[in-house]
Amino acid sequence: MDTQDQENAYKIAYEREKRARLKAEDLLETKAREIFLQNDQLRENYDLLKKQQSIILQNDKLATIGTLAAGMAHEINNPLAFVKSNIESLGRYHESYSRLVSFIKEVSTHLPEAEQNNLKALFDEEDIDFIQEDLPDLMVDTIEGLTRVRDIVMNLRSFARTQSSDRCAAHVVDGLHSTLKLLNSELKNAVSVKLNLAQVHEIYCNPNALNQVFLNLIINAKHATEGRENPTIEITSRDTPSEVIIEVTDNGCGMPPEVQKEIFSPFYTTKPVGSGTGMGLAIAYGIIKDHEGEISVKSTEGQGTTFTITLPIHATKEIEQTDN
Amino acid sequence: MKGVIFNVLEEMVIEQYNMQTWNEILASQTAEGIYTAGESYPDEELFNLVATISDKTDIPVETLVGAFGERLFEGLAARNPSFIEAEPTLKGFLKSVHSVIHMEVRKLYENPNLPDFEYAEDADDTLLMRYRSPRKLCILAEGLIRGAAHHYDTLITIDHPVCMHKGAEHCDLIVRFL
Repeated sequence: MDTQDQENAYKIAYEREKRARLKAEDLLETKAREIFLQNDQLRENYDLLKKQQSIILQNDKLATIGTLAAGMAHEINNPLAFVKSNIESLGRYHESYSRLVSFIKEVSTHLPEAEQNNLKALFDEEDIDFIQEDLPDLMVDTIEGLTRVRDIVMNLRSFARTQSSDRCAAHVVDGLHSTLKLLNSELKNAVSVKLNLAQVHEIYCNPNALNQVFLNLIINAKHATEGRENPTIEITSRDTPSEVIIEVTDNGCGMPPEVQKEIFSPFYTTKPVGSGTGMGLAIAYGIIKDHEGEISVKSTEGQGTTFTITLPIHATKEIEQTDN
Repeated sequence: MKGVIFNVLEEMVIEQYNMQTWNEILASQTAEGIYTAGESYPDEELFNLVATISDKTDIPVETLVGAFGERLFEGLAARNPSFIEAEPTLKGFLKSVHSVIHMEVRKLYENPNLPDFEYAEDADDTLLMRYRSPRKLCILAEGLIRGAAHHYDTLITIDHPVCMHKGAEHCDLIVRFL
């Protein structure tokens, strides 16, 4: 083989190697792209799983609290019933006692002077006049305290409700309109309300309970927008073949993620002590769950919050059949 | 700078001159001269190679870089034909450089240090491509555009009224489709 042939042979081999390298690089790029896309898909699924896990944990937690709340409500309700009954009896006893004291005072003037003095000393020692004066106030305060305890127990029972009483086929948009009418004086001059309400599919529900949910969400939205520029609440309704979706959006202060995690927990409130019971959203959660629906929140601090309620349409027929 | 750029430079020198010339150029460098498409190499290595080629061939650096841009388009198009096939017109292709091609490159390589392009269309027959890159390789970009025009068999002119080499913070490449 002469030098020329040898050079050609090397050139042919070089070009062959070069083509092989290009093919290898192309293969590498294809694989790198595949890995990138798979990695992307994995990351997306991982994020979704994390989100779902967090929802499951939250639902589990709320279900546990619901069971606990139902138990507590029951346990408190029993002693509450006899305490309330006893207080009412005490009220009646007090009337008898008052009449007796008045009568003793009246007849005491007919007693010998020594006995009159003894009686007066006893009245003074036992502070009977003060007791007479203070007892009505004590009764009023006690009844007020008991009423508060009763309200808390009722709220706990609403959160843990399992009964599906008072249900009928209804349009939730009608409920939204009547809730807004009820809140008219609260909202006007404070916040502008934008309605984007499409008439949605009728669902089998407890309209009063759902109205309570709407009321809680709208009041919360109004509070969130206090002090904001152009405070606005937007309410939208739409439906899919299987669901009715209601959204309440405000351009208020928003919530950090740690608050969003807790808002459906009973007694959780960010309002100052005495301003909120922390039960509004917990009850809303209970009511929506009771309707086999979902309630979720999306919020950005400083930008606003959206509550989304999803209620199943299919429940209508199934529940009607069950009821029949 | 990605190794594929060096690979296409090597192809150009071998095509225009011969393998011996490329070997001599590499021999005069401190770098080893082994370039793999997906690997990153210091920008200085490419600039040194271009300066050596310019010395050896008596072609001014600017002319050489422009011509390399044209050849680079051909080399990249041969390696990634799908990007060309996806765009039937030169204008469509140029507009896809930033949003599609660079996006795909980012999927493959971490920190590919790609230039930034912004687009504006004042008239049907013109496309303003605003180029920003710390490398200031606007002449290479011009060459790449000419290479693409050649590939799409489209006549164009390129005006370059605003340039980073004249103190501007970006370059305006105004492509007119004839």
